Amino acid sequence: MRVQVELFGLSRLIAGEREITLTLEEGATFRDVVRALAKQYPEMIGDVVQPDGETMQAPNILNLDGRRMIQPHQMDENLGDGDRIIVMSMSAGG
Amino acid sequence: MHGYSGRVLHIDLTNRKRWVESKPEEWYKTYIGGVSMATRLCWENIETGCDPLSPGNPVCIANGLFAGTPVPVGGKYGMASKSPLTGFIGDSLSSSWFTVSLKRARWDGIVVHGASEEWVSVLIDDDKVDFRDASDLVGLSTTEAEEAIREEFGDDQIRSAVIGPAGENLVRIANVSNDGRKAGRTGHGAVWGSKKLKALSVRGTHGVQVADPEELLKLSYDILEAAQGPHTQKYRILGTSSNVLNMNKLGLLPTENYREGVFDDAELISGEYLHEHYKAKTIACAQCPIACEQVGHVKEGPYAEAMGHVEYESLFALSSNCGVNDMEASIKAIANCNELGTDTMSTGVTISWAMECFERGIFTQEDFKCERYPEGFEASFGDGMAMVRLTEMIAHRDGYMGDLLAEGTRRASAKLDEERGTESYQWAMNIKGLETPGYDARALKTFAVGLAVGTRGGCHNRTAAYDPDIKGWVDRFSVDETRGELAKSTEEYAAVYDTLPLCKFIRRCFTGKADREGAWPAIAKLINATTGWEFDYDDVDLIGERAHTMKKAFNVREGWTREDDHLPYRWQHEPMTKGPSAGHIVTDEELEYLKDIYYEAKGWTEEGLIPKEKLVELGMEDVAEEIGV
Repeated sequence: MRVQVELFGLSRLIAGEREITLTLEEGATFRDVVRALAKQYPEMIGDVVQPDGETMQAPNILNLDGRRMIQPHQMDENLGDGDRIIVMSMSAGG
Repeated sequence: MHGYSGRVLHIDLTNRKRWVESKPEEWYKTYIGGVSMATRLCWENIETGCDPLSPGNPVCIANGLFAGTPVPVGGKYGMASKSPLTGFIGDSLSSSWFTVSLKRARWDGIVVHGASEEWVSVLIDDDKVDFRDASDLVGLSTTEAEEAIREEFGDDQIRSAVIGPAGENLVRIANVSNDGRKAGRTGHGAVWGSKKLKALSVRGTHGVQVADPEELLKLSYDILEAAQGPHTQKYRILGTSSNVLNMNKLGLLPTENYREGVFDDAELISGEYLHEHYKAKTIACAQCPIACEQVGHVKEGPYAEAMGHVEYESLFALSSNCGVNDMEASIKAIANCNELGTDTMSTGVTISWAMECFERGIFTQEDFKCERYPEGFEASFGDGMAMVRLTEMIAHRDGYMGDLLAEGTRRASAKLDEERGTESYQWAMNIKGLETPGYDARALKTFAVGLAVGTRGGCHNRTAAYDPDIKGWVDRFSVDETRGELAKSTEEYAAVYDTLPLCKFIRRCFTGKADREGAWPAIAKLINATTGWEFDYDDVDLIGERAHTMKKAFNVREGWTREDDHLPYRWQHEPMTKGPSAGHIVTDEELEYLKDIYYEAKGWTEEGLIPKEKLVELGMEDVAEEIGV
């Protein structure tokens, strides 16, 4: 299955891309997206992805199609084919 | 006492006098510093019910507990007066070496009373106070004024807070500038202008005495080290303007005066775009190891050489919210606000109100005539040049439009509606008169109540209730019984930081966790090493509740009623049509229910008043006597 991943903030600066397509096994989860990102862009480990290579480094967070922030306990939920994931680096204030 | 001098300096501009007030240690334990102490000083020194632009409204400055110490991000102070925008408490924070100099001059706070007949610049040189003629500073921009003072004395250790031309012209959205940072919101600049106070400068030559220097140094070093890690990386590299794309994707980026929450050209005004094309440097506030402020520089074109400090809130207000997709125009508009001395947020939101009036045919080109633009100009959404021109016209009150917009959205719309029989209040985006921030609350229901009940009006910094909504801890599109407690909890959490004050961007650097459990024990250690007190988790938590209660008490004494806790008409009647936040409004029923459960969570009455016993419980007996029910 294929999912689109939009990269905002630090993840975009590291990847040098605004958007990438990931090809994942059927039944892939949000955690698999993080694993794939860490594998494709090892420089993300530390600032965007935690050292375990499979969870997001706060305040970076995955968002599903602008509608739902993926919480740590939801990382093992399955993705749907064609889902659009956004890697957000949330700030506050300003 | 350690950490404090125990002294508050009073300055009377009317009679050119000064006196010193000593405060007991218990007073400091209750009000600590920052916005809490500044509000308390305002409570003690204001003529209740006064016009905010009259001599009876004092300028109150309260130093930070950690200013001048090694504690990272502790170089902040609070400023309070009755806001000329809201008529309620106007409390602002700023970070700069001004506050460190104040600490070294051994002043915990300053209260400026009265008003001068001529423009005055006040120099506080340790214990001495010198009233100086400021006629040569009048008309100077904020940076020029600060530089002129430093040059005059030939001492770069003199630090100044100043107003720009906007404050001189009593623009109600004017601010106070220091080291390029701003006490930005609620119109302090106009209060200074009403006193003919152009500048307040400080030279301090003393050390700061803390209870346990070794412990404080160790604690500070650990925080400093953490502040160089991943918890602050996003601030250091991109700053807060990285929120543009996030908010746009969530359908929350105010666009064309909050008509929509999705801006088609968001990429062109994003923090990422700024970083790639316009970033000149990042700068840090005093005592800050993070350095989050992104300075944008325009190299060529009509705005060549403009340099603006680009924060998210400044950027949304002076780009998408005016429909403008030209980063260069945004940088120039922000630079104008910085130098002329207006609040970027209120300026942008007021301009977007005018642009909507123009698009609806209420304003015509004629209305934008002034000496500089005798033919007037068109001011449609998306017109970056019109936006830039209006930032200048507001600061100088140029022409009909500059003078009207200098009043902010609430007064401008009321005047227009009276003059022309229009209903422009329906798109005047303010709460209690203060223009709204860069998060559309129609689809952030916890934030909606946090904003509505906010003591200083439409402010995201004092409530922090967008956190649970945006981060998905609750369903942001709906209302439930938890939101009252959440709004209380988040505003009091923010008030702890605003009172010490510490910059909130350090909040993950104590233990990696930003919540109370992660931060309060560490903050208690910092307080104890500085003061010698024995604060614990509960004491730190109380700082926030006391601070917020003090501000609410101030408002109650100034005539606040439940009806003052409102939202802009647009958020209650007009849903957005694009993106994931489309279709939502905050209904009357929702808002009144949210207020009910918020007041209940606070332990207040159904009318939102504070019971006497609640105030006594917080150690505010004299406040209970005056406004408790």
